[in-house]
Amino acid sequence: MGCMTFYIFNRKGRCQYYHEWQRLKPIKQGAGSQDEDFKLMFGLCWSMRALATAVDPKNPSKQQMGAPMRIGDGCSFNSIKTSNFKLHYLESPSGLKFVLTTDPTVGSMVEQLQYIYASLFVELVAKNPLYTPGDAFLFEPFSAALNKYMRTLGLLS
Amino acid sequence: MFQTRGSVGIVDKTFSRQGKQEISLSSFAYLFGELVQYCQSQVSNIGELERKLDEVGYGVGVRLLEVLCYRERSQRRETRLLDMLKFVHSTLWKYMFGRQARDLEQSNTAEDEYMISDSDLFVTKYVSVPREMGHFNPAAFVAGVVRGVLEGAGFPARVTAHYVAVKDQLRPKTVILIKFTGYSAIMQREQRMPGS
Amino acid sequence: MEMINAEIFTLTYGSMVRQLVADYEDVEEVNKQLDKMGFNIGQRLIDEYLAKSKTQRCSDFRETAEKIAKVGFKMFLNTTASVTNWNADGTECSLILEDNPLTDFVELPEQLSALKYSNLLCGVIRGALEMVNMDVECSFVKDMLRGDDVYEMRLKLLSSSTESYPFKDDD
Repeated sequence: MGCMTFYIFNRKGRCQYYHEWQRLKPIKQGAGSQDEDFKLMFGLCWSMRALATAVDPKNPSKQQMGAPMRIGDGCSFNSIKTSNFKLHYLESPSGLKFVLTTDPTVGSMVEQLQYIYASLFVELVAKNPLYTPGDAFLFEPFSAALNKYMRTLGLLS
Repeated sequence: MFQTRGSVGIVDKTFSRQGKQEISLSSFAYLFGELVQYCQSQVSNIGELERKLDEVGYGVGVRLLEVLCYRERSQRRETRLLDMLKFVHSTLWKYMFGRQARDLEQSNTAEDEYMISDSDLFVTKYVSVPREMGHFNPAAFVAGVVRGVLEGAGFPARVTAHYVAVKDQLRPKTVILIKFTGYSAIMQREQRMPGS
Repeated sequence: MEMINAEIFTLTYGSMVRQLVADYEDVEEVNKQLDKMGFNIGQRLIDEYLAKSKTQRCSDFRETAEKIAKVGFKMFLNTTASVTNWNADGTECSLILEDNPLTDFVELPEQLSALKYSNLLCGVIRGALEMVNMDVECSFVKDMLRGDDVYEMRLKLLSSSTESYPFKDDD
């Protein structure tokens, strides 16, 4: 079992979708509440990008750290690996943020997150008449397809 | 309102395309999705929502009949009920969904009722109906199209769409239930036709 | 992409417009509603466009307009548009459509001559661009249903917005 949790954030920071496969440490001992957990996770990804852009030794940026950026500006990142877990990240040009946490041993998930975006999110969420862009959603076909895909990848038994 | 072009226009423009022009299913899905949302904003319950979708489908059906008869049947319309049903089951379905409908059968309980059933119609493909919306079936739109085609051809009917669970299948199939109005009159009319 | 018969799309659009005309008495309201529905569609469709065309952010508005005309119209309407009539500072242009699949079979009766039949398209462009942080104005200035020689949409960039951290630090 390699996958742990999965989040989709809209560009305003709202968590539109959350799923957990294994969460050994309950949220109560971590962020405290579900809402707070969403906020911290979004904040981590946001800050990661802002900090990386600030210390970027390659591309000159005239902007102050923390100043508003356009989507896709500055530095992006694909993953953060810690001793206990790995966080995989994909941001679409429309500002959707896909976050998947897994075992630290799991390899690159760049293409897999792209697949989740292009084939699962677009087909099973964006095209669902009952979906309102930007709002939280819970659609059985999407959840089922996500689980199935994780199983195909060998991240879920 | 929005009449089809006059005969000259039709020959000139529309039929030069021969109906071969295609468009991505996605575009239809987005349009249909927005149509469902719009209808939802105009009504207060599921029954009204289905009726509204049926109305829009009806508008499509009436016009579709003209197009199809012209193209497929050299302007000869089906005059017998069973032929008309076959026309819906095969020609109309092929035109809309690229294949025949799976089944066409007469009801066991009422002779004026027929059922066309199929699964994965593209109007239901992208919709997952939440529990609070109960039995809502977006194929009410397709029911409307069928109603428009039948009525246009002189077979007025009540047409409704229903989900029916299928054994060993995750997704239910959709049954389009057709109940003809004035069935006995139609049958009498057919008996008077030459060749009966 | 999976394709279907374009006439189904065209007829469904027509029937939907007819329903709107029946629901609203005022033609201006119908125009507004079509634009609004288009906006909602644009907000959904942008992700399919981005995911399937693998587009990264466009470098400027000129590139954006070209992408809409050549890639977007092709993907969703199976036709293309040409981009012309740029203003000097590159913030305003026209999209010219010669083939508009929304309007096959359509003829506007006199009492609906103020109807902007294809207004949905303007909304789609506005909605899609809003999702990638561009606020635009978009409207039809020429319409073959009203006797013009082409369909022309005027597209104007109002502002490019940025994203700032949505939560207060001490929140």
